[in-house]
Amino acid sequence: MYSLWATTGQSALENAHILVIPGSATSTSILKNLVLPGVGKFTILDNRKVTPEDAGNNFFLEGPSSIGKSRAEETVRLLGELNESVTGIADTSSVAKLLETDPSYFTSFTLVIAHNLDPTLLDKLSTLLWSDDSYPPLVVVRSAGFVAEFFIQFHELAIIETHSETAPSLRIDKAFPALLDHALSLDFANMDPTEHGHVPYVVILVRALEDWKNAHEGKPPQTSAEKKAFKESILAMKIKMDEENFDEAESQAYRASAVTGVPSEIAALLQDPRLGSLIPSSPPFYHLLAALQKFTLEPPHTLPLTSTLPDMKADTNSYIHLQKLYKTRAEEEKARFKSYVTVPIDDALIDSFVKNAHALKVLRGKKWGALDTDHETLTNALASAPKQTAIHLSLSALSSLAVKRPGVAPDVEALTAEAEALLPPGSVLPDEFPDAVGEVARAPTADLPNTAALLGGLVAQEVIKVITKQYVPIGSYCTVDLVETWTGVI
Amino acid sequence: MATTSQNTDWQGRYYHIDQILDRPGPRTDPAFLAGDGVKDFLRNQAKILVIGAGGLGCEILANLALTGFKDIHVIDMDTIDISNLNRQFLFRPKDVGKPKATVAAEFIMNRVPGVKVTPYFGKIQDKDDDYYMQFNLVICGLDSVEARRWINATLVNLVDPENPESLKPLIDGGTEGFKGQARVILPTITSCYECSLDMLNKPTAFPICTIANTPRLPEHCIEWASVLEWPRVQGDKKLDTDDPEHIGWLYSVAVARAKEFNIEGVTWSLTQGVVKNIIPAIASTNAIIAAACCNEAFKIATSSAAYLNNYFMLIGTEGIYSYTFEHEKREDCPVCGGESLELSVSSDLTVEQLIELLVEKQDIQIKKPSLSTPTSQIYLQAPPQLEEATRPNLTKKVSELVPPDGEVTVTASTLPFSLSLRIQYT
Ligand SMILES: [Zn+2]
Repeated sequence: MYSLWATTGQSALENAHILVIPGSATSTSILKNLVLPGVGKFTILDNRKVTPEDAGNNFFLEGPSSIGKSRAEETVRLLGELNESVTGIADTSSVAKLLETDPSYFTSFTLVIAHNLDPTLLDKLSTLLWSDDSYPPLVVVRSAGFVAEFFIQFHELAIIETHSETAPSLRIDKAFPALLDHALSLDFANMDPTEHGHVPYVVILVRALEDWKNAHEGKPPQTSAEKKAFKESILAMKIKMDEENFDEAESQAYRASAVTGVPSEIAALLQDPRLGSLIPSSPPFYHLLAALQKFTLEPPHTLPLTSTLPDMKADTNSYIHLQKLYKTRAEEEKARFKSYVTVPIDDALIDSFVKNAHALKVLRGKKWGALDTDHETLTNALASAPKQTAIHLSLSALSSLAVKRPGVAPDVEALTAEAEALLPPGSVLPDEFPDAVGEVARAPTADLPNTAALLGGLVAQEVIKVITKQYVPIGSYCTVDLVETWTGVI
Repeated sequence: MATTSQNTDWQGRYYHIDQILDRPGPRTDPAFLAGDGVKDFLRNQAKILVIGAGGLGCEILANLALTGFKDIHVIDMDTIDISNLNRQFLFRPKDVGKPKATVAAEFIMNRVPGVKVTPYFGKIQDKDDDYYMQFNLVICGLDSVEARRWINATLVNLVDPENPESLKPLIDGGTEGFKGQARVILPTITSCYECSLDMLNKPTAFPICTIANTPRLPEHCIEWASVLEWPRVQGDKKLDTDDPEHIGWLYSVAVARAKEFNIEGVTWSLTQGVVKNIIPAIASTNAIIAAACCNEAFKIATSSAAYLNNYFMLIGTEGIYSYTFEHEKREDCPVCGGESLELSVSSDLTVEQLIELLVEKQDIQIKKPSLSTPTSQIYLQAPPQLEEATRPNLTKKVSELVPPDGEVTVTASTLPFSLSLRIQYT
């Protein structure tokens, strides 16, 4: 299949087992988008029977004929029809009882999703799943009418395949010997004109830079006047006006002045104190980081060379020749990198790590609810993301009111008072708060089909990223306002 | 109340939706009449058209049915392919080969009691103005730029200032991989689809000389196979990018080409990706965009909350980034602007060069345009006898045929309207 997350991602998805609590419209909307691309297994944990209200807003129930049946069983049956290769399990146990008697039930899944779960149970569940960093991530989803939010609780997520759009360095400024020899071997003055117009810009730049350095005490162009003169020297190499390869070299001339080193985000990862105390059973990612650290300590103090050359103006032969130079050198550097890996690691993983070394990412998550008790972060959020925080506070107020006054319809006054109680001392509710809380009070228990479907897409997308460890998931809250139609992270 | 709803609605059915329809929110327009009136309109009177029953269309139909729209029409000209099943969730393996519109409509009617979905298996162009006049709203979930331009122009032209009913809001959604957009178009009032044509990504086109003479990438070899070798070897046979045999042929030709030039990396999936020029659609992005579109339809139909003004854009590769903004109407929009497009060209420019210039212009996107002035024909692509008669003009200078500040009318089969140019010379 032509997929966005390749076969490695697909097999991670196929090996995953997701727990979803309960079988609400939002839950089934999320699951639909995981079942279609082929998640391995899912379990819906729900001890309730289908109500007439459920039958009206959940596409994975069959109207009145589902009323009175087990909600877990009905939704699992209808979701299962979407993809024969997916296993669905209906569990009609009580969440409260399982948390009490068999906590290991929850820790056995790849990932757990909870939608509008009773706040007391959610508290217990999130505390349980946070208690060990090997436990599964928890996705908390809350919605009321047109407003919603979700949050992913995880300790740490190391991503190799970030699918970053930043290209790795071609190391023009630190040309490896074979590339430098090749650039110096070309006789530009006596070259066949067709050939001259097809020398790849990388080779032109390496040559021009070397010539420049020879004339400038070994230094690359640094001041803006020098950079300008360097560009002019490239254009002066043209023998015909329409040689696009030289135009391309001129437009890429900044690469000659930029010093290729270790990008700052990657350098920060290499500072991780854990790299000094690894044991064989530490995660492979950290063993690879440790190898990368060793690699960068040696000259030329860069990341391993990329083997993928971007397209550029050139004829087939000169491009393929250059590509071979990069490939050969990249293989050599990869071999050096491998020699620093001290534990057995799958070759495919090493290849992928080296290929993506310039864009690695490590996300550190927080416990569910940490924002509400961390006064400094909450104060910052109120200032930097007021409308998003207004939605979060409104939904938190709804939760705490549900605990204090179960079964009583919340009004704006009571919700506002609850939200004020959540604020750090000296803070006030943002101007956007009345808009958010008004919608929550209007429809406190409404799981609207469109809100459910939108959350279904957003949450499934982030869950796929977490499971496949590809792309970059949100690191915090994502809030949604479907009156003005926006999403925003806190 | 109509009898259909009495027969199929049950106590509690609209418990969730009615929380919104029974009272206003803080940002709801004061004109919103909460209660039975709005429910009756939504459930018994509103008539909505869905264009497309593919990835977005399936999602749109399900959402509309659950929100309470009961008279839904759907148009789609495609039949179900096995490759659709991983995201078009109303279709099952047994449905492969059947029309999408028909199967989707039946599925929705079985699943959501009391909803009537009327399918039409065919092209939107088959229908006339009277057909489009019957709807309150149109939602478009298509992947074809051409079809969207057609429906957009049709709905703009439908607007009669004397008749408020003639203004049909158009809600348009589109997705590509983890990216997507949803927008609300009020024909003649807000920016229309044509106004924003330059926001589309220009498909990567490789220069023919690279493909023919200096291939460097696997993509160049695939383009060689599809652009040059297919027409040369297969003649008039149309390349069907959904036909695995056709893709297989291109793949083997591209592999041979790549081998000849020592180029690595031609694969089946890359071949398919290059010739279809697509980033694969995924279920989750379709769900997000379809939900956003249906939510706007619900808000417009009920006035229960303000609707999107007017563009929502989502990028989901790194975290979740979205941007909601008002796309501005283009004064010189050929569909809704009323003013002609100013074009300043050299007085030496030939008619042929003008045609090339028009074809490359990102904000009008046309193929094979025909040109005329109010008094004469400059160049016509068809029929053959007129093409032949006007062909000598191709090498003439535009300035010989059109006076400064003169008007040129551009038509093309891909253009559902005629474009008016005002030519200036430099
Ligand atoms: Zn327009």
